[in-house]
Amino acid sequence: MHLFWILFSYEWRHFRAAKGLVLMCGLLLVSGLYGIYYGTTEIERQRQHLAALPELTRRNVAELKVKFPGPADAGDIGYYHTAFAVHHPDPWAALSLGLRDVNPSYVKLRLLGLQNQLYATDNTNPMKVLSGNFDLAFVLVYLFPMLIIALSFNLLSSEREEGILVLLLAQPVRPATVLAAKLAFRLTLVLALALLLSGVGMLWAGVPLDGRIGTWLALTVLYCLFWLAVALVVAALQRPSAVNAVALLGVWLLLVVLVPSLLNLGVAAARPVPQGIELTIRQREEIHAGWDRPKAQTMNRFFALYPQWRDTATIRERFVWRWYYAFQHLGDVAVAPQATAYAQGLQQRYNLVEQLNLLSPAINVQSSLNALAATDLPSHLAFQRSATRYHDSLRAFYYPFLFRKVEFTHADYAQEPTHTFTSHPELATTYRGLLKLLLSVAAVYALGALLLRVRSINPR
Amino acid sequence: MTYLLEAKQLRKQYADKLALRGLNLQIAPGEVFCLLGQNGAGKSTTINLFLGFVQPTSGAAFVNGLEVATNSLQIKKHLAYIPENVMLYPHLTGLENLALFSRLAGFRYPESELLTYLTDAGLPPEAVRRRVDTYSKGMRQKVGIAIAVAKHAQVLLLDEPTSGLDPKASNEFSELLRRLSGQGTAVLMATHDIFRAKEVGTRVGIMREGELVDVRPTAALNAQELEQLYLTYMN
Repeated sequence: MHLFWILFSYEWRHFRAAKGLVLMCGLLLVSGLYGIYYGTTEIERQRQHLAALPELTRRNVAELKVKFPGPADAGDIGYYHTAFAVHHPDPWAALSLGLRDVNPSYVKLRLLGLQNQLYATDNTNPMKVLSGNFDLAFVLVYLFPMLIIALSFNLLSSEREEGILVLLLAQPVRPATVLAAKLAFRLTLVLALALLLSGVGMLWAGVPLDGRIGTWLALTVLYCLFWLAVALVVAALQRPSAVNAVALLGVWLLLVVLVPSLLNLGVAAARPVPQGIELTIRQREEIHAGWDRPKAQTMNRFFALYPQWRDTATIRERFVWRWYYAFQHLGDVAVAPQATAYAQGLQQRYNLVEQLNLLSPAINVQSSLNALAATDLPSHLAFQRSATRYHDSLRAFYYPFLFRKVEFTHADYAQEPTHTFTSHPELATTYRGLLKLLLSVAAVYALGALLLRVRSINPR
Repeated sequence: MTYLLEAKQLRKQYADKLALRGLNLQIAPGEVFCLLGQNGAGKSTTINLFLGFVQPTSGAAFVNGLEVATNSLQIKKHLAYIPENVMLYPHLTGLENLALFSRLAGFRYPESELLTYLTDAGLPPEAVRRRVDTYSKGMRQKVGIAIAVAKHAQVLLLDEPTSGLDPKASNEFSELLRRLSGQGTAVLMATHDIFRAKEVGTRVGIMREGELVDVRPTAALNAQELEQLYLTYMN
């Protein structure tokens, strides 16, 4: 143990002398801080948008009160009035944005058919979406392995190549102790950076003091340990530094780029999901066809779903709102199986990726962090289900006005249901990810230990 | 008699070459045994086997009565090693390198003592606090000598230790070896330098193709006779 600490303390000196590595650590620290800034700024921007929505609703109501100064037909109000289903971010979302950049944080809803509104989002810069998020999770999952590779590709090979290892191992010190001190120093350095950034990120994002802090840190520590284990395996093969560097970069490319890409292609082929646009077009066709269908046919189909309105007056006019909303409603009904299949297909893809992500700790950790931050697909699907229920409640609010022919007064605006939804973390997913990562780490360390046992360290 | 270094039927087969063919060797305390031979004769393999850097195919090497293969850590407390080309941590000073290797060997010296070891080994006082990457090969060799001496080992394994040293430093090194052997240190030195071997050795062994083909006490030969003997075997 004494020798371990001597070697460990000298590793610090060796590190300080390697200016390139010091610079790289500094750059990674700056990247991490930028990642935190990027994530918190993005979530703050979303929060500001969400905070502005009630004001938009108030203005909309004020305009409607001017447009309809007296009691009005609820059909007009339902058509012109805009409500919002809002998806509030969890504070952790700032550290792992997940799908919050591609999925909307709110949905603008009117009394019309739901499905096309559910998938209508604000325009976003496709180049920005393509480049992805530069949040703290990105820095930890994709950039930290690069630092570990830079620090560890020449674990023993540099001393061997420089001829120092013969003198070192001529002393009464086990090669395993030398290796352990080197790994421990690198682990300390990497973890100091990762935990510092995580701590700063948590404070900056204002995360609640709960068990998720420990889970995030455990994922971070295990992920760093995984990459150091990979470096150990490569070091145990005792190849030249250049070969080690290429091998480690190859592993990085494989686990961080190739496996995720292949997994994406494979899962898309194995779990085909109907395109959202097909669903939207089908619904639009159904609604547009509603104008031409006999009104009695439309209403009978509607009354089969809502028998409570069957006793309302037969429609003889050329246009009435309840008929209009009935065929809007039937548009949703017509695509309901597709909508369900679409959501289930996405969930099945997600489940399959979750099962297969043992193949790539990078995907596993990214998925686990997203689940912890409630920014993953299940969170978005839960929001969509919540928005659907909210739209149902809007219908339930307006239909009595429409079918009972009750006039909509200014006082009724205040009775309209409102919506709020905050994601809940998928902690079961995170814990499964943690367990899988632990298994990966144990497996790779076992391989490294086995290799070192089989191939004793040659100092020359 | 207790030998500090002993090889019993030591054999080393590499994938494509038989490097050592049943070496038998005993070196007593105070003896300076010089191994002469061409490149590839098996000198460095012998030293590597005593250091435990390679495992014998058969036979055994012993340091101070301990079998190297099963006591690889323990035996390193008894021996010091100076390679042909001493390489040190380039960003540390000579003083810091000596402090590091001494601490690994179990000695924590005050700075004044470290300075003494370095200057006794012939390193100029003004160089001890300079980074090693500014050193010449000879200066690094002197730090290597200081590291070996500071370890107070009973056994010294030397692989062309005077390589890169100027004649004055080489003579000082010979003097150091005589002093250490006088204190009971056993020395095994692989060298091409017949005259140095004659000068400091108590016995010389000539190796050829992995075999120790001849062993003579140096006192029984003059330099010319030793050279003639060596050339006879080499031819």
